[in-house]
Amino acid sequence: MTSAEWDRVKGRLRDEVGDAAYRSWLRPITVRDTGDGSVRLALPTRFMRDWVASHYGERIRALWGAENPDVRTVELVVDAGGAAPAPAPAPHGAPPVMEPPARPAPQAAFALCEVDEIGAPLDPRFTFANFVVGKPNEFAYAAAQRIAEADRVPFNPLFLYSGVGLGKTHLMHAIAWHIREHNPSRRVLYLSAEKFMYRFIRALRDQNTMVFKEQFRSVDVLMIDDVQFIAGKDATQEEFFHTFNSLVDQGRQIVISADKSPSDLEGLEERLRSRLNCGLVADIHPTTYELRLGILQQKAEQMGALVPPKVLEFLAHKISTNVRELEGALNRVAAHAQLVGRAITLESTQEVLHDLLKASDRRISIEEIQKRVAEYFNIKLAEMSSARRSRQVARPRQVAMYLAKQLTSRSLPEIGRKFGGRDHTTVMHAVKKVEELRDIDQNFAEDVELLRRMLQG
Amino acid sequence: MSERQFALDLGHSPAFGRDDFLVAPCNAEAVAWLERWPAWPAHGLILYGPPGSGKSHLLAAFAAAHADAGAVVVAAADLDDASIPGLVDGQRIVLVDDIDRLRAESALFHLHNLTRETGRFLVLAASRPPSHLPVRLPDLASRLNALPAVGIGAPDDAVLAAVMVKQFADRQLKVGEEVIAFLVGRMERSFAAARLLVEAIDRTSLTEKRAITVPLARMVLDGIDDRQGELPWRTANGR
Repeated sequence: MTSAEWDRVKGRLRDEVGDAAYRSWLRPITVRDTGDGSVRLALPTRFMRDWVASHYGERIRALWGAENPDVRTVELVVDAGGAAPAPAPAPHGAPPVMEPPARPAPQAAFALCEVDEIGAPLDPRFTFANFVVGKPNEFAYAAAQRIAEADRVPFNPLFLYSGVGLGKTHLMHAIAWHIREHNPSRRVLYLSAEKFMYRFIRALRDQNTMVFKEQFRSVDVLMIDDVQFIAGKDATQEEFFHTFNSLVDQGRQIVISADKSPSDLEGLEERLRSRLNCGLVADIHPTTYELRLGILQQKAEQMGALVPPKVLEFLAHKISTNVRELEGALNRVAAHAQLVGRAITLESTQEVLHDLLKASDRRISIEEIQKRVAEYFNIKLAEMSSARRSRQVARPRQVAMYLAKQLTSRSLPEIGRKFGGRDHTTVMHAVKKVEELRDIDQNFAEDVELLRRMLQG
Repeated sequence: MSERQFALDLGHSPAFGRDDFLVAPCNAEAVAWLERWPAWPAHGLILYGPPGSGKSHLLAAFAAAHADAGAVVVAAADLDDASIPGLVDGQRIVLVDDIDRLRAESALFHLHNLTRETGRFLVLAASRPPSHLPVRLPDLASRLNALPAVGIGAPDDAVLAAVMVKQFADRQLKVGEEVIAFLVGRMERSFAAARLLVEAIDRTSLTEKRAITVPLARMVLDGIDDRQGELPWRTANGR
């Protein structure tokens, strides 16, 4: 009985989420057991369980509740039976239909890492296969691949630099994933410069710098992200310099990233600067429209989200700052669609991202509203405060009052004053009138909505 | 960790509906996201809204609801580089209030990275959306811009009324519906105005030794109008 219900729930989910997402996430689910108003579903890995819980949990529960009102809770468990595996290394090889998620949010509920852990965990999304290559980043990409695939150190260090959010961290994680998979005996350590600093300061305080040195000098590949954060911090820089030299002398690989080239980094000691300069320095240029679009397309596919091409083009066009913000924007749009249970459209995208798209949070003035509304309905601006009461001018005036109430925080008496010294009850009446008309007249509702959008920029 | 955490209840439990917090259209989305924790699209969430819109209230309620998991609220002004690892230790969720007053940008940057890397959650509250905050550190700015952000909008009449009723109640004042209705129809419609107006009415009622009635409310409102033609705090808010 239960499995028949599950088949029907699955069928409906498949219609909702599409084939790709269904195959990746929902088909592997099996029914574990049922009883007492609850159903337990099992997934093969913890990671998949968390992903399904956060993305489809609500829907599964709702659909199942519709199938069988007795079912009140749906629980998702891992089939491995207790010992959950360590965060699975990113699948490589065959191009994955669906790489791990838009960051393992709910995973946190289960795998709270210690603040102390020496390296930083690798993001499962950040693999070479997931890196969208274009003109701006192909050189850095090739250099990173070279490091990952080489048996002997090809150049030391690899110094990656670019503005924020263009993929330095992605490439570093990709190197680490690749080496872990193809050469598991090599010890790879990735961490941010600030973490290096914290650990060093703590080691100084606890007087165990020897242990600290050992930890860092026994790795085969050391990757330090955002090295600009130790610029100007003399003691940390000094220690870093020694670690660096010791590793290079032993023929170990070092990969460094920063927001500027070694020559442009401020607060860096000269000898460290020249060390950083003597390997391969590769920069990533700002993205092009084509690259941004490519990134969005890939990301949307991975998320299993139905995003109209128009929306992707809009985002690629509007959010040109960097990849992090671009992906963040797509995330927000998809998450919002999921929250409210509606499809992604150009309108919903503009709505969700209005804070990001608007140049500033300038406030809208009543004068601006009057001007726009007058233009829109093709009447003279003076009619906004005139005494004329013919519908031709009264209606636009009411719309403007309504918008003034919605879009500004001005008091109703003040709004009334700006409309030719009218009373606040007139404003209230206008608001009521517009609300009534909106409900019965579709065209009118669209006019008002369009004006609101225009004014909000 | 027990698997129970992912049990999906059929019934809706409004964790923030109680405690005097009025869930209304202007804040419904913010509340919905908080209630969804930990099923978030990212490890962090930014709440933004004008002063007095209930952000601190939401943070406190959220932290209280998840006290068992380990949640702590800190003021952004108190963040500094050295305090970050200790702050995060033992907590699952770190909530930072009033990002507008952030002094050490690098501290928030580290906090963002550390919470993300260690599977923790970060909730930030600010008066403006992240893209409009004057963040100088580009590394931080792009991270904030990439986080899901949800706004608390301007209050509608019902919220404005509820906010004032609550603020009067906080001062142990019971005020008639007609007074609230009178004010809502005539005041500047912002959270900040509601807060200051209640304050002014309370003060006037004390000094004049009069009950809070419509005539008294009118007097206070007119006094504000006569003095400046605009509410005096408008300039104070930099408008």
